[in-house]
Amino acid sequence: MRRFLTLAAVIVTALLLQTTVFSDVRLLGARPELMYLLTIVFAMLEGPSSGAITGFAGGMAQDFMLNQPKGITALTLTLLGYAVGLLRQYVVSPSPVLPVFVVAGGTFCGVLFYGLVSFLLGQFDSTALYLFRVAALSAVYNAILTPFVYPVLRRAAEASRSQRVVRW
Amino acid sequence: MVALVSVSLLTITVDYREGENGPLASLGRVALTVISPLQEVVTKVTHPIGNFFSTLVRLPAIRAENERLKDDVAELESQVATGVTDEQRLHELERVLELTQSLGPNVRTTAAEVIASGVSNFEWTITINKGSSQGVKLDLPVVASGKRLVGHVIRVAPDSSIVQLMVDPDSSVAGRLEISRTTGLLTGQGDRDMKMGLVDVSTEVQAGEQVVTAGYRISGGAQSLYPPGILIGTVSHVVPDVAALEKFITVSPAVDFSSLDIVLVVLSSGSR
Repeated sequence: MRRFLTLAAVIVTALLLQTTVFSDVRLLGARPELMYLLTIVFAMLEGPSSGAITGFAGGMAQDFMLNQPKGITALTLTLLGYAVGLLRQYVVSPSPVLPVFVVAGGTFCGVLFYGLVSFLLGQFDSTALYLFRVAALSAVYNAILTPFVYPVLRRAAEASRSQRVVRW
Repeated sequence: MVALVSVSLLTITVDYREGENGPLASLGRVALTVISPLQEVVTKVTHPIGNFFSTLVRLPAIRAENERLKDDVAELESQVATGVTDEQRLHELERVLELTQSLGPNVRTTAAEVIASGVSNFEWTITINKGSSQGVKLDLPVVASGKRLVGHVIRVAPDSSIVQLMVDPDSSVAGRLEISRTTGLLTGQGDRDMKMGLVDVSTEVQAGEQVVTAGYRISGGAQSLYPPGILIGTVSHVVPDVAALEKFITVSPAVDFSSLDIVLVVLSSGSR
């Protein structure tokens, strides 16, 4: 229950920030993709199944704000969350900058995948060049935001764990 | 994981087939109803802050603009002396224009605040704080002050609605070139200038020429979304191409969409 509430609060906050603050503060015309950032960070912290669930919930929430067939973002982020969660298990690096690179790469691939799916559904009206530009810019923007967002999300994730491990 | 992917795919399929009348579309309206009051509050608080930061980013540009404006003021001051007669002529012209441009005598509009913008990098929309309880309906035109076109309503909730901007790649507007009176079709290209197609090659077009909405009506009931004579923008580029079948024209919109605060929804234009 607690987990559910945390997830809902984080997703609504991300949606609100995405549509208000970050529509004013842009990086060369592009805004960040907070829902992608959120999914990737949760997947890194909690593993593939949590990543997939976060991605699905966040993606679905975002889809209801869009004028596209609903579900494209949900599909993208479910797969993204799962993939990042899986990959994370094979990377043994204590480096504190790792999340920044994972977020950048994940966002880039995720946005491209989203563009591809909406193109296949005949819903993509922009050019491929624009897609690459947006993917690159939002990846950079997300990477910049990661150092600020990561600690907050980590605390949220830790606080929402249902079984707390007590160490002696 | 497999379940989630299947649900996503199912949702895409259902929504794709059902369109605007399906159960998912109504869920979308519920989502809009829930989130728009929150957006309004957040915007009220953060808009000044956002403005501050975007101003910082644009500081060099603003400085340059300031210089340019100072020059302009100096030039204009010298013209003021001779400007009185011109002014009278302008007023007269404006009155004439008013007649041809007017939205009609019984225009009803409602002013709405912009409370949020689209969530994605691939859609150009804004959310406004007026909805069906204030008379806003699907497809109604939305204009900014000075009779400049913004876009049209694509989703309505009780107290908020989503407006698709005319620069959205999904949006097309029939436009008329002011000097040659030729019509063409303007398609949005996102952050780049709009493209104006279907204009005959023989048409004389100059950069800086104004483009207004054409507002057609075909016998049989089909008519354009927008009333005629609303300013869309000015021609920014004409590519001379002798071999092409149509002229390649780009039009820069009259509205700066990043700084929209208040818009007018045209509820009824008399002619509709």
